[in-house]
Amino acid sequence: MTQPRWIPVAVVATVILLFILPWLTGSNYFTGIAISGLIFLTAAASLNLVYGYAGLLSFAQLGFWGVGGYCSAIAVMDFHWSFWSGVLFAGGINLLLGTLIGVIITRTTRHAFVVVTLTFALLTNLIARDWIDVTRGPLGIPGLPPPQLMGFVFNTSARFYYIALVFSLVALAFLYALMTSRIGLVLKAIKQNDPLVQSQGISPAPYKLAAFVIAAVITGMAGGIFAFHLKIIDPSFLDFYYMQTFLIIVIIGGAGSFWAVVLAGAAMVVLPEALRFSNELRMVIYGVVLVAVMMFMPAGFSGWLEERRIKALRKALQ
Amino acid sequence: MEISATYLLQLMLNGLMLGLIYALIAVGLALIFGVLEVINFAHGELLMLGGYAMALSLPLFGLSYWPALAVSVMVTSLVGVVLYEFFLRHIGQKEFERSILTTLGISMILLYGMQYLFTATPLMVDTAYGFEGLEIGSIRITMTRLIAGGLSVAAFTGLYCLLKFTQFGRAMRAIAQNREAAMMVGIKPRHVARNAVALAAALCGLAGAALAPIQLLHPAMGQAIIFKAFALVVIGGLGNMTGAVVVAIALGMIESWVGGFFGIVWQEGAIFTIMILAVLLRPDGIFQRGSMRVG
Amino acid sequence: MSVILSVAGVSKSFSGVRAVQDASFDVEEGSITGLIGPNGSGKSTTIDCISGFQRLDAGRVGLAGQDITGLNAAAVARAGLVRTFQNVRVYDSYNLVDNLLVADATFREMNWFDALLRTSSFRRTSMAARDRAHELIELVGLTRLIDAPATVLSYGQKKLLAFAAAMMARPRLIVLDEPVAGVNPTRVNEVADILRKANAGGISFLIVEHNVEFINSLCNKVVVFEQGRKLTEGTPDDVRNDPRVLEAYLGMAPASHVEAT
Repeated sequence: MTQPRWIPVAVVATVILLFILPWLTGSNYFTGIAISGLIFLTAAASLNLVYGYAGLLSFAQLGFWGVGGYCSAIAVMDFHWSFWSGVLFAGGINLLLGTLIGVIITRTTRHAFVVVTLTFALLTNLIARDWIDVTRGPLGIPGLPPPQLMGFVFNTSARFYYIALVFSLVALAFLYALMTSRIGLVLKAIKQNDPLVQSQGISPAPYKLAAFVIAAVITGMAGGIFAFHLKIIDPSFLDFYYMQTFLIIVIIGGAGSFWAVVLAGAAMVVLPEALRFSNELRMVIYGVVLVAVMMFMPAGFSGWLEERRIKALRKALQ
Repeated sequence: MEISATYLLQLMLNGLMLGLIYALIAVGLALIFGVLEVINFAHGELLMLGGYAMALSLPLFGLSYWPALAVSVMVTSLVGVVLYEFFLRHIGQKEFERSILTTLGISMILLYGMQYLFTATPLMVDTAYGFEGLEIGSIRITMTRLIAGGLSVAAFTGLYCLLKFTQFGRAMRAIAQNREAAMMVGIKPRHVARNAVALAAALCGLAGAALAPIQLLHPAMGQAIIFKAFALVVIGGLGNMTGAVVVAIALGMIESWVGGFFGIVWQEGAIFTIMILAVLLRPDGIFQRGSMRVG
Repeated sequence: MSVILSVAGVSKSFSGVRAVQDASFDVEEGSITGLIGPNGSGKSTTIDCISGFQRLDAGRVGLAGQDITGLNAAAVARAGLVRTFQNVRVYDSYNLVDNLLVADATFREMNWFDALLRTSSFRRTSMAARDRAHELIELVGLTRLIDAPATVLSYGQKKLLAFAAAMMARPRLIVLDEPVAGVNPTRVNEVADILRKANAGGISFLIVEHNVEFINSLCNKVVVFEQGRKLTEGTPDDVRNDPRVLEAYLGMAPASHVEAT
């Protein structure tokens, strides 16, 4: 697991650039895109932990995202908590929910895993629409107030941007530490060869569960923050569109590769915005890209590079 | 709430109709899974395409029901053939996640493409039957609902005979049970798989076309229904088509009854709970191959 | 000599077909024991049952006095019995060192907080594991390929890597499922030498293999299976001269013979 030497330099440069970004652009529109980009990227990186590392194609991320969004909104509007406790509440509820679902489904087949997680995601969507007593139904909860910290109000895009930035950097750093640790090594081993891992004395179930739950908590908190960026939450927060975006980022970058997914995330969020496609057309393009990647380089961009490296190596060995 | 026998009967008939539509979709999913071991995420969009094909071709035939229905079934089965020849054929048996992501991409293209072309505004579809209906006592069923129910029953009967008595059906069941052995006795998996996908797509198109005059049409209608179809398939067993039909009809009834008395939240919560229980009770049984039985 | 593995009355059926019936045998501590038999005689099922990959219907399995019947595969491995697989299994995208690191015994006891924070004691164990991985890769003669992803290895090289990974887990007993099937015949003796070296280091072996020469040159004891039952056991010479073994191998089995593997 060696990384090229220029990566730390690039990371430091990018982080500095991200911190001064609001000064570089005065446009709220642009800052808004940057906020979405950071949040989507974080959610995608946690999906990468589940799918790319643990090998579990989870659609439940969408559900956790939505539950997180609703939890933080309800905590602030109905319980009159602060935004910060609301986001922690979102993480906490997802911890419970992720554990509950995870214990059951990390023990089933991969087929059942996909279908159950998908159904969970769609179920949360329906509940958001129909459980009017709690979620206020299709109208949603409008007017989410800007976060405050010791008298400072994060009431502009540029100010809110720093919340998204700090959260994303912390979450990504945590995921990076996890993925490059021995835990990451075992997770990817489980994805490659489950029986072999067992024959070496490691039970895969706790690892899969941990990946699933960690991703649930991070995605939930990301959703909790994103709701306050939108300033409203309604059932469209659980639109399948979000799941598709997270998936596209992971798939194009190459599941199981941390940096490739980060780069793909940045590209996939910024490019369509820069080209100003309508929302529908952008999703059609995402769909085309997804199908094309699946047909021609199923392991994503990083997988394609790796394949070429292996081919060259094979040739050299003959 | 006053509960009259008429109300109950009305609920039951509605449930039966709904269940039959679910069953058409679930059977197609089971068929594709049995032959290809692929879960088709674009299945809901085939339903939507069937509905739109119906809506668009109805005016061409002066609102007459049957020719428009035939067109939508043909259109969707053609889409099925394309789906197989260009995409599913290139995906290996063990590449389960790849098949899901590919069909998911196709579903995105179809869904948002239709939304781009026709907007997300729901469409009302009118047929020559209009609001004609049949009245038995105090129960009233519209003609289009009656036809939808009749069509589903006819489709199931046809499917049953097809699978049970024709060469194509026998070949399909042989492949679902044992691919290698089927190839050894000279069955061409590619032909069989293509026909299976086309057949499943046609059933879906039929369901969509039959639904069009009953419900509002919108591009995301497939997504709403596919959720239930997946749930069905988990509860009934994906390899098992009879199971899928039985559970689909039961689900339609339960939905209609629960929806008649309790909040809609309970209805959806109940489906998910039953599904989780099914997964818990037989974690391996759900997706077993080789159990694709007809009859 | 004490017994490291005792298999007593193990039976296993698959939907009515009896793959293994009432099989009993022992592996002595420090020995190399062979397990042979025609295709479908239940060898693979037996080692699946021993190693916790299949639940057995009846019987008991003991490892160094500890009852390991019914433990799952990971628990059996932690108890000290590590197996390899007939269709060789390695982590294809990992290089050889990472392949061995996952198998390292310190991995299964690792504290996740230490792993995340990379504490100094944790780094020390990691370094020790890395050193041991290098040694084992040298033992199986793959040092030249140490940085390559395992997928570029030949079939035989993968078998050697899988063996090194089994050693990495520091087991008391290694069960090898066809270690030289598909391995270039000129290299079979090398494999035998590597196994002898490991055996001299104190590891016991149970080897399932079709290559009778390989078994005869290596094993102290041979167990013969036929149609899911133990036919006989003894020294390689005894077994070779047993008419029943010849009969089983020359295909004079009755028509009711069922392929179970």
